[in-house]
Amino acid sequence: MSGASSALLDTFPKYLLLNAKRFASRPAMRHKDLGIWQSWTWAEQLDEVRAFSVGLRSMGVKPGERIAVIGANRPRLYWTFTAAQALRAIPVPVYADAVGEELAFVLDNAGITIAVVQDQEQVDKLLTFREKIPTLKHIIYDEPRGLRDYDHTDIHAFEAVQAHGRSLLADDANVAVSWQDAISKADGDDVSVILYTSGTTGQSKGVMVKASAAVNASKDTVVFDGLNEQDDVLAYLPLAWSGDHYLNYAHGYVAGFCMSCPESVETVSHDLKEIGPSFYFAPPRVFEGLLTDVTIRIEDASKLKKRLFAYYLGVAEKYGEAILENRNVPLAGRLGYWLGELLVYGPLKNALGLSKIRVAYTAGEAIGPDLFSFFRSLGINLKQLYGQTEAFLYVTAQTDNEVRADTVGTAIPNVDIRISDDGEVQFKSPGMFSGYYKQDEKTKETLTEDGFIKTGDAGFFDKEGQLKIIDRAKDVGKLTSGALFAPKYIENALKFFPNIKETVTFGDQREFAAAFINIDLQAVGNWAERNNIAYASYQELASHPLVYEMIANHVDETNRKLAGEPMMAGGQIKRFLILHKELDADDGELTRTQKVRRNFIAERYGELIEALYDGSAEKYVETEVTFEDGRKGTINATIKIADAGVYTAADNAPVKEAAE
Amino acid sequence: MNAPFDPKKLGIPAPEFTLSAHEDGVAKGDVLLNVENVSLSFGGVRAIQDVSFDIRKGEVRAIIGPNGAGKTSMLNVINGFYHPQQGTITYRGEQRKAMRSTAAAKQGISRTFQNIALFKGMSTLDNIMTGRITLQKRGLFWQALWHGPAAREDLEHRRAVEHIIDFLEIQHIRKTPVGRLPYGLQKRVELGRALAAEPALLLLDEPMAGMNLEEKEDMSRFILDVNHQFGTTIALIEHDMGVVMDISDRVVVLDYGRKIGDGTPDEVSKNQNVIDAYLGVPHE
Amino acid sequence: MSPAFLYFVETVLNGLMAGVMYSLVALGFVLIFKASGIFNFAQGVMALFAALTLVGLQTGQVPFAHLINAIFGTEVHHFGWELPSIFAILGTLAVMVAFAYLFEVLVLKHLVNQEPIILFMATIGLAYFLEGFGDLMWGADIKTLDIGIPSGGSFWLEDVTREWAVEGADYYGMYIDKLDVVAAIVAIVLVVALTMFSQYTATGRALRAVADDHQAALSVGISLRSIWVIVWSIAGFVALVAGIMWGAKSGVQFSLSLIALKALPVLILGGFTSIPGAIVGGLIIGVGEKLAELYIGPLVGGAIENWFAYVVALAFLLFRPQGLFGEKIIERV
Repeated sequence: MSGASSALLDTFPKYLLLNAKRFASRPAMRHKDLGIWQSWTWAEQLDEVRAFSVGLRSMGVKPGERIAVIGANRPRLYWTFTAAQALRAIPVPVYADAVGEELAFVLDNAGITIAVVQDQEQVDKLLTFREKIPTLKHIIYDEPRGLRDYDHTDIHAFEAVQAHGRSLLADDANVAVSWQDAISKADGDDVSVILYTSGTTGQSKGVMVKASAAVNASKDTVVFDGLNEQDDVLAYLPLAWSGDHYLNYAHGYVAGFCMSCPESVETVSHDLKEIGPSFYFAPPRVFEGLLTDVTIRIEDASKLKKRLFAYYLGVAEKYGEAILENRNVPLAGRLGYWLGELLVYGPLKNALGLSKIRVAYTAGEAIGPDLFSFFRSLGINLKQLYGQTEAFLYVTAQTDNEVRADTVGTAIPNVDIRISDDGEVQFKSPGMFSGYYKQDEKTKETLTEDGFIKTGDAGFFDKEGQLKIIDRAKDVGKLTSGALFAPKYIENALKFFPNIKETVTFGDQREFAAAFINIDLQAVGNWAERNNIAYASYQELASHPLVYEMIANHVDETNRKLAGEPMMAGGQIKRFLILHKELDADDGELTRTQKVRRNFIAERYGELIEALYDGSAEKYVETEVTFEDGRKGTINATIKIADAGVYTAADNAPVKEAAE
Repeated sequence: MNAPFDPKKLGIPAPEFTLSAHEDGVAKGDVLLNVENVSLSFGGVRAIQDVSFDIRKGEVRAIIGPNGAGKTSMLNVINGFYHPQQGTITYRGEQRKAMRSTAAAKQGISRTFQNIALFKGMSTLDNIMTGRITLQKRGLFWQALWHGPAAREDLEHRRAVEHIIDFLEIQHIRKTPVGRLPYGLQKRVELGRALAAEPALLLLDEPMAGMNLEEKEDMSRFILDVNHQFGTTIALIEHDMGVVMDISDRVVVLDYGRKIGDGTPDEVSKNQNVIDAYLGVPHE
Repeated sequence: MSPAFLYFVETVLNGLMAGVMYSLVALGFVLIFKASGIFNFAQGVMALFAALTLVGLQTGQVPFAHLINAIFGTEVHHFGWELPSIFAILGTLAVMVAFAYLFEVLVLKHLVNQEPIILFMATIGLAYFLEGFGDLMWGADIKTLDIGIPSGGSFWLEDVTREWAVEGADYYGMYIDKLDVVAAIVAIVLVVALTMFSQYTATGRALRAVADDHQAALSVGISLRSIWVIVWSIAGFVALVAGIMWGAKSGVQFSLSLIALKALPVLILGGFTSIPGAIVGGLIIGVGEKLAELYIGPLVGGAIENWFAYVVALAFLLFRPQGLFGEKIIERV
C-alpha cells in the first residue's frame, strides 16, 4: 500500500473496492443457510453490494438519505450498509427485537425513507406503525416467506432490487463506472452510520459517526490486536449495536477478514463450534452462560470425568494464566497443563467453539474475577475493553500482557483520557461521534467545553495506570453512615454465583444495603431436579424455602468477601428477597441489551423496597407483566424477605483460607 | 437512469421450494377425498356409523367431536390403518375399500399422531429424511454402492428436507435425537416428517394437544402457512375450539361415531346438535 | 523383552483375532434383534448352511444328490466343474437372499404382531429345518472350505519377534495365523460398511426407523415386509462371512452351527442392540479366554476356554444386565 492511496481510504466502500482487488478470492462473508455454509469472496461481495446499491440508486436514494437496517445478522443486511454508504446515504441499524413503538420512534427520529428488513415479522411491525413514520417510502425484505401476497407497490424483495440493479449494470457499462466514481469522490466527512444507543437512560439517541472517524478508529484497533485477513469472526451480536458494527463490520473491511453469519439465533453455539472464530467478543453474561452450561454438564457426567475435570481445572488455575502470559512456570506445571490441555481444556474449548481464539474481549459490565480467570486459565486470551457508542466503541483496552479482571486497560493509541474532578471518566478519540442526530442540546450536554466526551462513568486509574470503572457516576451513593455504596460492584459479586442471574441492590441514603435477586432458572432448576424438588414455574421455584436457604448462603459468602475490602465493607447486604418474576425487557425492566433499568425497577417495586427496610418478613405484591405476544396480565405473589449475616474483616480471614 | 422508478419492474421472486411431488390434477375446491357411508366396528363396538363427508382440494378440514366420537378411527380409516366394514372411500376419483397404510403413503397421504410416533433414537434430520422414503427412486443396489445416482438423489432429498427444517424453524435441533426434545418441538418435527413426503393430503391428529398457548400459536401459524404457501390439503382433529374456528375452512362434527354437523366453523358453532353434544345433553 | 512378556502379547493378539470371529457371529444376531426384536436362534445354522452352499457351489456338487440317487437310482454327485470362488460367493449370497425372502413370505408374514417368544420359537424351528435341509441338499460329510485365504503361521512375524526377545532366551517367535488376520480385516471392513450403509443410505435410515418404531415406520410408507427381507438378507450375508471364516479355520461340519453358542456371552456382554457392543464384546471374550487359559488354566487343569466366556457373561448379567453398550434399562415406576 503506497502512502498516497492509503490516505484516500477514508470510507468503507473504498475498502470494499480495495479488498475486492487485494483479497479477491479470499472469503468475505459466510452464512449458514439450508444447513450449508454459503460463502462469498470479496470480489463476489463487491458484486452483491454493487447490484443492490445500483438498485437503490434507481429507487431515488440521494446522498445523506437515511436507510434503516433491521433484522438478525444476515449477509444482505450487512451488504445494505455498504450499498447505502456507496451512495453516500446513511445506514441506520435498528434493534430487531424492538417493539413497534420503539421502532417507530427511531425510524421517525432518523427520518428514514427506506427500510431494509429481514423478514415478515419486521415488515408487519413497520406496516402497523406506518403513519408514525411519514418519511418511509419503501420497505425491502430479505426473506420472502409469507410476503408474496403483500401489495408490492412499496414493499420489495431484496433480490428483486438487486436483480433490477444487475439489469441496469448489464444494460449500460457507464452505470458501474459512475457508481465507482461516486465512491472515489466521496470523502470521509460524510456520516458513515447512525447508531442508536440502547437507551439505558431514557429515549434512544442517534450517534452519528463520520466515515473517516470510523475508519481511523478501526485502523488503530486492527493494529492494536494484529488483526488481519486470516482472522475469522462469528457475527452474532445485535446488528444495531455499535460493538457489532465496529468489531465485525468495520474491522472486517479494514483488516479484510471473513465474517460468518449464524443460521439462526438458536444455533449460535453450534455455529460457533463450526466456525471456530479467532477474534471473539461476548458480554460477561454470555461467558457466565457458558460456565453455567459447563458446570451443569460436568455435574451430569460420570465420576471419573468429574474428578478429571476438577483436577485439571486446579492445574489450570495454578499455571494457566501464567503460561498464557509467558511468565515463569516450573516444568512440572507445564507438563501437567499440557496433559490437561490434551484431556480437558482442548475438548472443552472445542465444545464451546473457542479453540481457535487469538483475541477475545468482554465489556459492557464488570466480569466476575473467577469467571474471567476460568476462561483465561484455559488458554483463551480473554481481555477487557471499555467503550461507548459515542466513541464508536473503544476507549481503553488491555494489552496482551497486562490483563486483569478488575480493570479495563489503558487508553487505545490516539485516545486521550482523563478523570474529571468529580471522578468522571472523559475522553477524546479518533472514532468519537460527530453528534447526536437532530439532538444538538444532548450533544452539547455530553461534550465538555474543550471537546471531551463525558462518559457518565465513575472511575480511577490504578497504580499501574489501568482504568478501573466503579459504576455509573450518578449511581455511586452513600449509606446514611457515610460508607460508600457502589451497587454494581456488589451486584457483580453476587452474580458471580451461577445460581444468581440478576440482582438489583439498594442503599443510597439508606441505613444498610439490601438486594432483589433473580435466580438462574437453568442452574437452580437443574439443582432442583437433582434434589427432587418439584416446581411448575419460576415463581414457585423462587419462593421455595430451600432455594432461599441456598441464596442466603451465597449472600453470606458475598458479605464475607466484601468485608475483606475496606472500601466496600460497609455495603454488605443485610436483607434480601428473591423476586417472583424474571426481570424482562418486555416489561421495561431491562434494556434491549439486557442491562438493568435501575430507576424503573425502584419505582415499579417501591413497595418491596420499603418492605426490605421496614423489617417485615413478607410482602404481598401484584405485578403487571407483558407476554411475548404483547398481551398484558397480572401475577401476584407473597414474597419472603430474608436476613443475611454481616461480617467484619476479622471474620473473613479464616474463611478465605478455607475457600482456597 | 433518469427514468422514474417503477416498482412493477421489480416483480416478486418465485418460491424457492414447493411441495408438489403428489400433484394430482384435482383442481382447487374439487373433492379430493370422499367418505361415503363408512361404518367401522371392533368386535361389537361400533366406532363409526354410516359417516359421509368430503375433503376438498386446498382446504383445511377439521374433524371435531367429544372424546370417543370416532375421530381418530376416521383418520385411521382414511390412511389405511383400519379397513371399514361398510362404505367406500374415494381418493382422487378412485374408489377403494381396503388399502394398506404404505400404499396410502405412496399415494400422498401423510399423517401425524396424537401421541407422537417419531423415531426417538434418530436425529431430527434423519426423522424428516425418512418422510421422503416414498419418494425414493433408486433401489437398494445403488444405495449399497453409495455412488452415482443414489448419492445424487440423497442430496436432492436432503435439500428438500433442509427447506422444511428452515420452514419449521428447527435448525438448532437438526442433529439432536428427537427423544431428547421437548414435547412441542417433537410435534413440530413430526409435522416436518409428514411434510417431507410432499403430501397431497395431510392428516393431523391433535397437532396441538398438550401445548401451551405460545406453542399452539406457532403450530397454528405453521399449519396455515403449509396450507397457504404450498396449497396442501389438510384434515385435522383438534380439541381446542378456538384453534379450530381460527384455522379451518370447514368442520365436520362427530359424536358417538355419527356425523352430527358439517359446515363452516360459523355454521357448525350455531348447530343445535353440536351445541348439545358439547354440553353433554343425554341421547334419547 | 522377556519371553514372558512376548507370550503375553502373543496371547492378547490371538485373543483379539479369536474375538473378531466371535464378533462376526454376534453381529448377525444384533442386526436381526435390532430391526425386529427377534432373537434369531438359527444364526449359527445359517452360517453353516451358507458355508455348505458355498463349498457345494464351488466344487460343483449336485444339490440333493442323495435324494435324487435314492429316487432315480442314479449315481450323480458332481457336475464335474468347479466354480471360481468369487462366483461361488455371489451364488451363495443369492441363495441367502432367496432364503430370506422365502422365510418372510412363508413364516414371518403370518406371525406379524405375535409375541417375541413365538417368533423365537419360529427361529428354533428354522434352525432345525435348515440343518436338515442343508444335510439333504449337500450331504452330511465334513468338507473343507478353501477359497484361497492364506492360512498358517506367519514366518515373517516369527522371525521379527524372535529378535525382540532378550539374548539367549528360549523363544521361537510369535505364532499368529494369517487366516485370523484376514478374518479380522474382513470383520472390520464389514462393520464399517454396515455402519455406513445404515447411517448414510435411505434404506439404512428405513432400517433404523423400523428398529425404532414400527407404527411410525408404517405411516411414512416404509414396508415392514421388505425391510424384513432386507434385514434377513443382510444377516444371511453376515452368516456367509462368518461361515467362510470359521469354515476355513475348522472345516465345514455340524459343529460350525455351535459357534452360535459362543456368540451368546458376547451378546450379553455387548448388549443385544449394539453393533459396537458386539465387536467389543467379542474382543473382550476372545482376549479374556486366551489370557485365562494361559494364566489360570494351569491352576485348574486347563480347558478354561470352554466355560470362561459364560462365567464372564454371568457376572455381567448380575451387574450390568443391559450390557456394555446396550440401551440402559430404565424401570419406570
